[in-house]
Amino acid sequence: MNEFWAAVWAVVWKDLQIEGRTRQTVSVMVMFSLATIIMFNFALGMAVNVNLSAGRDVAPALFWAIVLLAAILGLNRSLALDRENQVFDALLIAPIPRTALYVGKVISVTLFTLLLDAILVVLFTVFFNQPFYLPVVLLVVVLGTVGYVIVGVLITSMTIQSRTREVLLPVLLLPVSLPLVLPAAMATATYIASAMSGEASWALVQAPVLLVIAYDLLMLGVGLFAYQFVVES
Amino acid sequence: MIRLNAVVKQYGLNPVLRGVDLAVEQGEFVTLVGPNGAGKSTLLSIIATLLRPSSGEVTVGGWRLPEQAARVRRHIGLVSHHSLLYRDLTAAENLAFFARLYRLDDADDRVAGALRQVGLLARQRDPVGTFSRGMIQRLTIARATLHEPDVLLLDEPYTGLDQEATALLDDLLRAETARGRTILMITHDLAHGLGLADRLAILYGGRIARETKRDDINPAAVYDLYTDVTMGE
Repeated sequence: MNEFWAAVWAVVWKDLQIEGRTRQTVSVMVMFSLATIIMFNFALGMAVNVNLSAGRDVAPALFWAIVLLAAILGLNRSLALDRENQVFDALLIAPIPRTALYVGKVISVTLFTLLLDAILVVLFTVFFNQPFYLPVVLLVVVLGTVGYVIVGVLITSMTIQSRTREVLLPVLLLPVSLPLVLPAAMATATYIASAMSGEASWALVQAPVLLVIAYDLLMLGVGLFAYQFVVES
Repeated sequence: MIRLNAVVKQYGLNPVLRGVDLAVEQGEFVTLVGPNGAGKSTLLSIIATLLRPSSGEVTVGGWRLPEQAARVRRHIGLVSHHSLLYRDLTAAENLAFFARLYRLDDADDRVAGALRQVGLLARQRDPVGTFSRGMIQRLTIARATLHEPDVLLLDEPYTGLDQEATALLDDLLRAETARGRTILMITHDLAHGLGLADRLAILYGGRIARETKRDDINPAAVYDLYTDVTMGE
């Protein structure tokens, strides 16, 4: 077990070192998110306060749409790093469980995406004047992000060698993540709306949050089982 | 040390290897040559545990592949014309990462020793992306031998090297031979292939078409031998 976690830590630390030096993964995700928020602000007429309530209504959905799309950029970038110079071959012939490569990559991409989440929480709180910082909302954001990355790393590992990976990844990943995104977005919107009307309650979001947790666990099991076959093919 | 018996590899209906028989003894240096598409890299990938043979028997150090691949991996090192290194990490960081994957004791000393051996200690803090092709290939040797493997697999290691870098690589490979490592090298360069090796094998038509010991052939005649085999005698 120690061997497994030592390999996981090695992969995570290596990804953090590269990101610390290049800042290419998180910065791309943040720039995309900023551009999208600004674009939607104009599109919704919020820039001139024509229809402020419209912006508020769609804010939770917009939050998740941005996280999903920005994470795709991060997934592609992070996994492509291991394919440059065929480094992945050296990882595959290392005497470590291949699932350690999967878990390590899930952890590092999750960390990058959670950093993006933190920035988005601040931006959405400021731009849309909604309490995205509430602990329950943050819990949903973390659980949703973890689940999305768990399945994202698996599917990106399948598509990363393809010349059309930029198209293939969202086409495969977004439908598969629908059972995660629906309850996550629903829980986010419901809790924020109830909090703004002073009626926030855990019971309102318990069912969708449990669905998100179930999805995370199920996909983690699928990922741990399927990853070795994915990388061997 | 390496035994291949009737190894076949097919991609779909297309057979690349049609029954390869090859044995490399412990401490022996064997060079495998052959025209493009002969299946040399496929054969090396099978021995490196990166590919599964369609049929046939492969053993490395007495362990059967692919069943005992996990045991074999600690005993092999792979050098290819790709560096298998992260260009955004420094030379020392790259080696430290692989030292962690192989769980090497006294990793810092080993990394410093490996860098010293390939003449890159002074550049240990420079990112690999700033290195010349020759420096990268020397670092690649350091990576592949960091864990003291019994078997070193070389896939076109001379690709893109100038004369000085080629001479340095020759010296490094002679040093590895002197340490008693078993080496299997794939190359297009017949002169280098025969100059360093104990034995030359020609892969043609998906089979080992000819094998000869270095002492049994005049270096000047090796081109004629190769032409005879690949042009159908």
